Amino acid sequence: MQLFLQNIVNAMQWGSFYALIALGYSMVYSILMLFNFAHGDIFMVGSYIGFGVATALLGLTAAFNLPLPGWIILVMTIILAMFLTSFVGMFIERVGYRPLRDAPRASAAITGLMIGIILETGNLALLGAERLSFPALIDTVTFQVGGIYLTNKKILIVVVSLALMSALHLFIQKSKYGMAMRAMSYDFQAVPLMGISINKIAPLTFAIGSGLAAAAGILYSLAYPVLDPYMGVLLGWKAFVAAILGGRGSILGAALAGFLLGFIEIFSVWIFPSTFRDVIAYSVILLILAFRPHGFFGQAHSTQLRL
Amino acid sequence: MKSPIDKIKQLFNTTPLLAWLLGWLAAALTEYFIGDAVSYYLGLPRIPVLFGCLLALKKPLLIPGATGYFLLIYLLPFFLVARLCRRPANYLASLLARGPVSLAAIIHLALFYLALHIWADISDYRLLLLKLTMVAVMLTLSLNVINGYMGEFSCSHPGFMALGAYTASTVTLRLFADDKLFGAPLLSPALGPYLFPLALICGGIVAALGAVVIAIPSFRTRGDYLAIISLAFLFIVKSLIENLEFVGGPRGMSSQPDYAGLPMVFLGMVSCVWIINNFVCSTMGKALCAVRDNETAAEAMTVNTGKTKIVTFMFGAFWAGVAGGLFAHIIRYVNPGSFGIQRLAEILAMLYFGGLNSVTGSIIGAVSINILSEALRPLELFKWIIIPLLLIMVMLFRPTGLVSFTEFKAEKLMRPRG
Amino acid sequence: MNYSESETKAKKFAVPESFIACIVVITLVVSLGIAADSLAFGRRTIIRIGINAPITGDIPKVGEGTKYAALMWLADIEKNNGIEVNGKKYPVELVIEDNESKAESAVKANTKMITEDEVLFIVGPQSSKQAVPAGDVANNYHTPMISPWSTNPDTTSRRPYVFRGCFLDPFQGPVLANFITEEFKFAKAAVLYDVSSDYPKGLAEFFKQAWEKSHGPGSLVAFESFTTKDTDFSSQLSKIIKSGAQVLFVPQYYNEVALIVQQAHELGWQGPIVGSDSWGSAETVNLCGKDCYGQFFSTHYAAAGAKGATKAFIDRYQKEHGYVPDDVAALTWDSLGLVRNAIENCGRITGRIKKDREAVRDAMAKIKNFNGITGNMTFTEEGDPIKCAVIVRISDKGEYEFYKSVCPE
Repeated sequence: MQLFLQNIVNAMQWGSFYALIALGYSMVYSILMLFNFAHGDIFMVGSYIGFGVATALLGLTAAFNLPLPGWIILVMTIILAMFLTSFVGMFIERVGYRPLRDAPRASAAITGLMIGIILETGNLALLGAERLSFPALIDTVTFQVGGIYLTNKKILIVVVSLALMSALHLFIQKSKYGMAMRAMSYDFQAVPLMGISINKIAPLTFAIGSGLAAAAGILYSLAYPVLDPYMGVLLGWKAFVAAILGGRGSILGAALAGFLLGFIEIFSVWIFPSTFRDVIAYSVILLILAFRPHGFFGQAHSTQLRL
Repeated sequence: MKSPIDKIKQLFNTTPLLAWLLGWLAAALTEYFIGDAVSYYLGLPRIPVLFGCLLALKKPLLIPGATGYFLLIYLLPFFLVARLCRRPANYLASLLARGPVSLAAIIHLALFYLALHIWADISDYRLLLLKLTMVAVMLTLSLNVINGYMGEFSCSHPGFMALGAYTASTVTLRLFADDKLFGAPLLSPALGPYLFPLALICGGIVAALGAVVIAIPSFRTRGDYLAIISLAFLFIVKSLIENLEFVGGPRGMSSQPDYAGLPMVFLGMVSCVWIINNFVCSTMGKALCAVRDNETAAEAMTVNTGKTKIVTFMFGAFWAGVAGGLFAHIIRYVNPGSFGIQRLAEILAMLYFGGLNSVTGSIIGAVSINILSEALRPLELFKWIIIPLLLIMVMLFRPTGLVSFTEFKAEKLMRPRG
Repeated sequence: MNYSESETKAKKFAVPESFIACIVVITLVVSLGIAADSLAFGRRTIIRIGINAPITGDIPKVGEGTKYAALMWLADIEKNNGIEVNGKKYPVELVIEDNESKAESAVKANTKMITEDEVLFIVGPQSSKQAVPAGDVANNYHTPMISPWSTNPDTTSRRPYVFRGCFLDPFQGPVLANFITEEFKFAKAAVLYDVSSDYPKGLAEFFKQAWEKSHGPGSLVAFESFTTKDTDFSSQLSKIIKSGAQVLFVPQYYNEVALIVQQAHELGWQGPIVGSDSWGSAETVNLCGKDCYGQFFSTHYAAAGAKGATKAFIDRYQKEHGYVPDDVAALTWDSLGLVRNAIENCGRITGRIKKDREAVRDAMAKIKNFNGITGNMTFTEEGDPIKCAVIVRISDKGEYEFYKSVCPE
């Protein structure tokens, strides 16, 4: 029982990252019908930008002897990094995706994949082979509640990611832009005729998705403070599975699927021998899709690859 | 007076494939006999193996030498012989055009193989490169059947390749080799080279069976679910092999017998191209294109869409398995790590670079990406910036790839000109 | 009318023109060829050493260490105006190839270096997943190769031309099991390793065997795994903590070590964590911080408190590249030292590469008691060195302190 609860805590933290990254995937997928395979690497870029911002802020506080506590720096880092990374996302949309809007979707996916490789290699060329250690902005405090070990970071990660997800949900449901996005995901062809410019919505989608990836990147670096250029690859592909599993047109579904993927991975390690984790976790996904072929919240529809 | 460009155009328009092949054979022979001497006089350390690209990038001072070598050894004999043989080749081609296509094809292929063999004989590095390129052609083409002709987005190709590679390796190691995983051979090793194609086919069949696992849940609906189901399948296969101790787990299997010589790989590639080309030109292939463009309409036209899709998927997987088996016997080592996301990105890049729905495109894509990634090797890190950039450029200017939506017709290629 | 006339004219003249051109060129080329044959022996003999390193891919840091150590070695040779064999100095060139941390690329690189660059000796690849297939290529072409870092027995087994520069897993596993038994007197241990990477998996299994041999079956209470690139180990660690293990053995690379140790402490792990030679990088402490202080691991050499040549190497490397070299760099340095030794003692360099390779291989196999910075080395029949392992403690300042040395009996 104790182990069960402990694993729920573990899975909540692990699932948050999948969920946050899957949200970015799902935004682009639901609204623009694209696989943004560069997203995992945008997450990596977000972490590195976060690293840069945090180091710079720490340097400034040390230089001017400002009495800034760690958590303020953390908040500033998250906000600044989200802001900067959203520009990276918009830039990628502008150069890589906009020219391909009428092209087959797969071409855009390949472009994304290649942009991802450029980001990884570019990082390696610029910063060298050294892995970076993310500065510990807040001290780890470990609590013990009924035999379960919690840390302040774990709580922070889960709370911040849930907050970001609900903020996004509110934005999509209530705001004018959110409505435009939902309309776009409903009918890609007709909505531009209604006076909604796709050239406004698409960069916004990418900006929000990349911002979330940056937030995920910083939270991730708090929990796992080792940064390397290839950190986003596997995580990105797995989050991609979660995003599609959530169902097209359902952004909340992507978040839920992200958490589910985290739970499946953590619990298959707990219950079965851990060497079989990937076999079991992904067989479960296959089974789910065999019974719910449209994902959790997706409506039955016939997507046509625009070839 | 005609401009030189027109003259060259005319040369291309009036020279049949047969003459070009003879030209290339002449180039290969020239290199074989006097390549060493010419490279010495041009100040090159040895025969440039990849048309001088490797040399030129490492030591820019040698660029004039490498260019001169290329002109003298390749271009000159190539065009000269092609030009000289134009008339007899045209005559021969028109003779062959009257006979069955397969005879003409076999003669052309034999000539092509001869030239390749002589060319690859210069260095073993070239030979290895050639074999791996041929395997890449098979992989790209088989993925084109699924991602191009069927119009789905499948990510499981490395998984099929792994299934094929492991099955074929297990068969050959168990039957023909004295291996520490499996012990003494069951059959005489002398039989090995002859029964090797059977091992490859076994690999292909296992891969095709793996495809059924994906096909059953994913073809219930249309859409993007195949993408994640196939991705999940890839993770499962990799993890499963890591857990199977009897095939070596993460350590992999090594010392496969050396059966994949150039003739074998060439044969594999040619049969792959031939059969896939026939498949996509068959009624089944046309039905497939109908399913891709509009499934409901195809259904109404009495196409059995479910069967078409499953058969096609298995067909693509089969060839990926065969290619995997060849790959394992070329490198003579397999481990699960070779069949991950990285390999997937590589195959996808080759496919979309070359072009969807086109046999020619797949061949062009696989060959050019392979040669390029070898030729740019001296650039180390920057190679992985230049290749993706090039691919993005291709996607931006030709979104469906360099050569897409074309049919590959052997008769047309081999026809007499002029 | 006029146009077509000129065309037919051009056609009439085109044939003889090209014929003449072709005859001229062919005679030229043939005469060149005949002349060249008599001159072709004039090419200078240069000793080329191939370096097969993972400069891009999963472990770029390993590639960097290899490259830097090799360049330092080359600088030494150049200062000496080449390697002296039989009283004559030969210039040395390095051929550094990137294997992208992929098996097939390592095979390609080896084939290229052997057949194109005509290297005399190959150093690398580092990880076993590349060294096993690449060793096969080297052996088939009768080219000597030494893998400084590959601990998989398959790399050298049944391959007379392949050597290695480090000890093997079957030696290291029992060393660590015995060390834990003697040092802590514990009876229950746990292992956490990467199932998809052959080095951790092999070592984990050898450790398991050794541990269960001395403590009886069932004494290894948890044997948990994850896959390469994972960063969350909370579930495995929760399981390990629950199992009542007293010590945790983590045969992982430095980037994972930092995460595992930190997460273990966050989940309430109190006991010691013991590692293997893959911990021996300056990065381990940089990434892991205070959590790693006081932990033990086995390695090839201890950087802190090193003396003599080892210290000279570390200081020089640190001065040139700004950080303390990891075991890969030190082992590469030693392997290159072995290569140099073998070349110097090979008799004479003839310039005929096949013969020279044979001679250098034989000289390599004969090396006795080579005094390297990672210990004394003598090769066995299989081409594996007999050398000692060092147990290192990470001090409270984050330095690697020599704790004890364990030698094979």
